[in-house]
Amino acid sequence: MISNRVKSNLRQTFRNSLLPKVGVLLLATIVLMAVFAPVLATHDPTRTGYFHENGGPYPPPGFDYTTTVAQGGEIGEVRITATSEHLLGTNTVGQDVYSRFLYGARVSLLVGLFGVSLALVIGVPFGLVAGYYGGRVDDGLMRLADVMLAFPSLVLALALIGVFGQQPIRIPDPIVMGSEYLDLGIASGMPESIPIPGSVTVVVALVTWVWFARVSRGEALSLRNEEYVKAAKSMGEHNGAILLKHVLPNSVTPIIVLATIQIAVIILIEASLAYLGFSGTTLSWGYEIERGQDVLRTRPWVSMLPGIGIVLSVISVNLLGDWFRDALDPNIEGSERGA
Amino acid sequence: MSMGKFLFRRTLQGVFVIWGVVTALFGMRAVSPGDPATLMLGQGATRNLIERVREEEGLNEPIYVQYFDYVTDLLQGDLGYSWRSEREVEAMVIERIPATIELAVAATVIAILIAIPLGVISATRRDQPADYGATLFSLLGISTPNFWLGLMLVLVLGVWYGIPYPSLGISSDLSVRFGIGFIDLPTGRRGAGFVEGLMAIVRDGSFDELLTWLRHVTLPAITLGTYFTALITRLTRSGMIDEIGKAYVTATEAKGLPGVLIRYKHVLRNTMIPIVTVLGLQMGTLMGGAVITETVFNWPGLGLRLIDALSIRDWPLMQGIILFVALMFVVINIVVDALYTYLDPRVSVE
Repeated sequence: MISNRVKSNLRQTFRNSLLPKVGVLLLATIVLMAVFAPVLATHDPTRTGYFHENGGPYPPPGFDYTTTVAQGGEIGEVRITATSEHLLGTNTVGQDVYSRFLYGARVSLLVGLFGVSLALVIGVPFGLVAGYYGGRVDDGLMRLADVMLAFPSLVLALALIGVFGQQPIRIPDPIVMGSEYLDLGIASGMPESIPIPGSVTVVVALVTWVWFARVSRGEALSLRNEEYVKAAKSMGEHNGAILLKHVLPNSVTPIIVLATIQIAVIILIEASLAYLGFSGTTLSWGYEIERGQDVLRTRPWVSMLPGIGIVLSVISVNLLGDWFRDALDPNIEGSERGA
Repeated sequence: MSMGKFLFRRTLQGVFVIWGVVTALFGMRAVSPGDPATLMLGQGATRNLIERVREEEGLNEPIYVQYFDYVTDLLQGDLGYSWRSEREVEAMVIERIPATIELAVAATVIAILIAIPLGVISATRRDQPADYGATLFSLLGISTPNFWLGLMLVLVLGVWYGIPYPSLGISSDLSVRFGIGFIDLPTGRRGAGFVEGLMAIVRDGSFDELLTWLRHVTLPAITLGTYFTALITRLTRSGMIDEIGKAYVTATEAKGLPGVLIRYKHVLRNTMIPIVTVLGLQMGTLMGGAVITETVFNWPGLGLRLIDALSIRDWPLMQGIILFVALMFVVINIVVDALYTYLDPRVSVE
C-alpha cells in the first residue's frame, strides 16, 4: 500500500520543516475538541435564552457594551460585562458561544470526513475501471468530468441542494451515551444526538467525486502498462483481481493527497452552504456567522469566533495536504474550492 | 494545425460540454421534488388552475418531449419565464451580468497586481522574513472563507476604524441590515457601473461616478480576490524558484543584465504559463466566490440572483444563471488555451 520510501519521505519532510508540525498539532487539537465536545462544553449548545438580566446576550471578555433599560419609569444605561458562566459570551438567541464552537467543529469535520469518504467510494472505482479498461467507459468518464468541471463547485452544490433539499441526519453521540458507564464529567443536558447536514454531505460528495475519478484514472492508465500488471495478466488473473491487488494499492498515495486537499474544500463548501442558509441545520460555524451578520456592529463576537474555527481547521488540513504533497510529490490537481 | 482549426475543434468540444450542462440541469429540475405548477402559482392555487398551467407548460407530456422542448427553446435563445416573477429569464440574467463581471474583473486585477510582485519578492528572497510573510499570507488567503473575510473587513475597517466609505457594495439595503449607517443610494437602485463611470468622464469630464464605483467595488473585490491573490502568490513563488535555477538565467546574469530585468522580463514570462492555466481553471471558483461575495455585500449580480432563485426554487431562473456561468467558463478556457501560444512560442496549437 504505502511503500517504505514514501514513509521515510514523509518522516523526513516532517522533521525538516515547521509547517507540517503546526498542521498536525492544530488538526489534533481540533479533532480532540470535536470528539470530546460534550465533555469540554459547559452548556447544551442548542439551549437558548442565556441572556443578561437586562435582556442582551453576554459578551466575551473585552466586548463589554452598554444598553439602555427602563428602570422604574426612568431610562438608564446599564453596562453589560462578561461572565465566567459563559466564557465566550452568548449569541443573539442566547446560546453559549463556546459550546457551539466545540460542536461546530464536530459538524465541520464530520461533513468533511463523510463527504470525502463518499466521494472516494464513488470516484475511485469509477476512475480505476475507466483508466484500466480504457475505451468507451474512459471516454464517457472524461466527457462527464468535462461537463462537471464546467460548473463552479459551489454553484453545482447549490443546484444539487435544490434537488436533494436540506435534510439533516441525527447521529447519536457516543460520548454522551457512554457517559452512563464512564464518569466523564459531562455537564447535564448535553444532547444525546447531534444533527449533521445529511443532504450537504451527499451534495459535497457529488461535487468532488470527479476529482478522485480523474486522479485514479490517471494512475490506472499508467499502471496498466507496468510489468507486474502484465505479468499478473499473463498468469491468468482476473481483471477485477488485478485492479484490487495491484492497481488500487499502487494508486493510494496520490489519492490520499487529494483526499486531504478535498477535506479542506468540503469544509469550506459546507460553511458556505450553511452561511447561505441551505444546510438544514443551525449547529454549524457557517450558520453562526450568518446569524452574527445582522448584529456585526453591536455584537461582533457572534460572527468572529466561528470564522476563526473555520480558518484554523482549513489551515490545518491544508498544511497536512502541503506536507503530503511535498513529501510524495504526485503532480495532482483538484484544489478548486467552494468559497 | 492552424489557429483557426484549433479554435474550431475547441469550440466543438465546448458545445458538447454545454449540451451536457443543459442536460444535467434539465435532469436536476426533473428529479427535484415539488410540482412546478404549484411552485409557480403558490400554495393557494386551485386544482383547476394548477391543472391548466400543467397543460399549458407541457408538464403533462412525457419526459423526453419536455426535454426536446427545453433544448429547442434554448437553441432559439429562449430561456423561459421565471416561475415567480413571470419575467423572461434572459432579461433577468442579462441585467445582472455587468455587475458580476465588474466584480470578477476587479478581483482578478487586484489579485494580479498584488500577487505577482509578492511572489517574485518571495522567490528572490527565499527564507527571509519577506518570504515567510508572503507564505503566511497565502496560507491564510487560501484557507479563509470569503464571506467571513468580507464581514471582518467591514467590521475592522468600517466599524472599528470608521473609514468613511460605503463598504457595503452598491445598494444600501445591507448597510441598513448591518446597522452601520452607510446610506448613500436609494434602496434597490443600482449605482453607476464601471462603464457608466467611464462614459461620465467622456461626457462631462467628471470623475465622480467612476470614483463612486471604485469606492463601492473595493471591499467586495478584495473579499473575492484574496483567495486568488494567495493562490497566484504561491504559484509565482514556486514557478520562479524552478526557473531561477535554470541555465539561461545564469547565462543572462553572466552577460551582466540587471537582476530586475532578468526577473521580470525573462523568468516571470516563463512562469506565466502555469499561472494563466490556473486562472482559467479557477474561473469556476471565481464565479462560486462571486455568489457568496455578492450575498455578503448585496452586490446586484448573478450570484445574488441565483441565491434568490434557489430559495424560492425558481428553476428556470436557476438554470438560466448556471447555464450562463458554464458558458463563460467554457469560453474563458478556450481563450486561455489560445493564450498559451502567445506566452510560450514552443507550444503549438496541437
